[in-house]
Amino acid sequence: MTGRRPVLKALLWLLLLLQPALVHAVTLPAWLKLPSKPAGPPVKLPQRKLNLGEFTGATGASARKALGAELTNSREFVITQEGGEYTVSGSSVGGRVTGKLVRVADGKQVFERTYAAPGLDENLRILSDDIIFAVTGKPGLATSRIVFVSDRSGSKQIYMCDTQGKDVQQVTRHPHGAVSPTLSPDGGQIAYTTYRVGFPIVQILDLGMGWERTVTDTPGSSFGAAFSPDGQRLALVMSFLGNPEIFVTDLSTNTAGCISDTVGAASSPTWHPDGKQVMFSDDRGDGPKLYVAEVPEKAGASSRLFLWRAGHSFCTDPEFSPDGHHVAFTVRKGRETAVVVRDYPVGSSTVIQADGAQHPSWSPNGRYLCYVQHGTLYVHDLRTAQRRAVLTQYGTISEPRWMR
Amino acid sequence: MMRRAFFPLLSSVAAALCSCSSNSGAPAVFQTSQPDIVFALGSREGFVSPLNASLKPACPALEFRGTSYALTGAHRRALAQLAKGWSEGGKPKYVLAGYTPPEMTEDYARALSERRALAVRQALIEQGIEAASLQTVGFGQDSAPSGPTTGVVVIYKQ
Repeated sequence: MTGRRPVLKALLWLLLLLQPALVHAVTLPAWLKLPSKPAGPPVKLPQRKLNLGEFTGATGASARKALGAELTNSREFVITQEGGEYTVSGSSVGGRVTGKLVRVADGKQVFERTYAAPGLDENLRILSDDIIFAVTGKPGLATSRIVFVSDRSGSKQIYMCDTQGKDVQQVTRHPHGAVSPTLSPDGGQIAYTTYRVGFPIVQILDLGMGWERTVTDTPGSSFGAAFSPDGQRLALVMSFLGNPEIFVTDLSTNTAGCISDTVGAASSPTWHPDGKQVMFSDDRGDGPKLYVAEVPEKAGASSRLFLWRAGHSFCTDPEFSPDGHHVAFTVRKGRETAVVVRDYPVGSSTVIQADGAQHPSWSPNGRYLCYVQHGTLYVHDLRTAQRRAVLTQYGTISEPRWMR
Repeated sequence: MMRRAFFPLLSSVAAALCSCSSNSGAPAVFQTSQPDIVFALGSREGFVSPLNASLKPACPALEFRGTSYALTGAHRRALAQLAKGWSEGGKPKYVLAGYTPPEMTEDYARALSERRALAVRQALIEQGIEAASLQTVGFGQDSAPSGPTTGVVVIYKQ
């Protein structure tokens, strides 16, 4: 009898010790699982050294400090005083910035530019992106934007934010809502679906000039617009033929041609960076699968349409990576969705995020994916496999799209 | 031994019977035939969206399971009843509006709900209703929470 007491005591202590963990497990949402394995050592990213030189002028000191923070945030460079591959220096007066980038090895000046946009921060973001592009050959993200849909105002409307989830702006205020946004390659226009007339139609909004233009107002439904890489055409879904089909419309001539040949439910077209192929999701009766249609160069020319083997049976929302070598898409695994990246045209696939993640979109440099998971906007670093919730508690966020 | 052989046979028959309504890839006993002619939609002029007006459904909402857009026998019976009274009722116009539950991905939900509405439209045309009297719209989950939040096609009388 007395021998059992230490065992009981130990069990009691064990229960008391476990209690916080049990409470924690109950209060956490089901999809927010704790990592099963301890995190490994932080991934060391290849970074170039950049000398941050002197910035003269009245606002030179603050410009230098802000530029250093911007370049550090980009994770492209290690900022040093000396020993770097490149040196950036310049001047700043009253928010206006002049930046000069010099290659240290041969002393060659890469560029010298003056930025006179209203606001010091805006000028420094553009300078930062110019430095990143000049050094790495890939676009920077400081001036990049993400468009998304949120229902925080009571109806679904389109919003835009920067890649940190800051500077959020409401873009549309349509009485019955606006959805399915996509940014043009230069970031100057947004194509989206609106229920302004009570039926879904596709419109383009010019962000600089403020004008709106209706692209399609055909019978049935029109939705899922995607800009071609040159920004001159839109791929979208229209159903006026009696079936939802993928069309490519030329924005300069307002003509459209059907590139899908389906009796199913076609949706979410995306362009290959070469501008010659469009991938879309099509449900021909056994769940949505991914198909690729070649865009004919001229009307009447023959083109191929084929099923792309994505390795999953339920695939939607595909998007090509900026280099065209990968496709990110949403799959359904059981009752939940997951974001998957697969090599294109053939190769292996990787689950980037499960447990309800959906609608992935690539960053312009191809290093990040943004997606939504249970109404929160995430940015996922594909090199380190780490992610960050950039916009939370902003209504239910859906359909994010990164500026290409 | 006999019982062991019988079970797979029974399950395959059950699966085949189920597939005729779920529109899966497995062979069906009663094949749903694809329409020979798909009728293009006419002008939207004269049609009012359920978003802009309080419209009355012409019949109970047609429910669809999962991701199916194939019409079931119950759907066809309800549509035959509607078509029967169409010419006697002054040949009214109908807007066929598709909806989906919120767990689907957004763009696919729009396509699926539109495809279901078009399948209903095709059946009504085959039952004798003029194509010009029918207009479709696929809301997917965009009309939630004020609109239906299940996989249905609602036939609104104009």
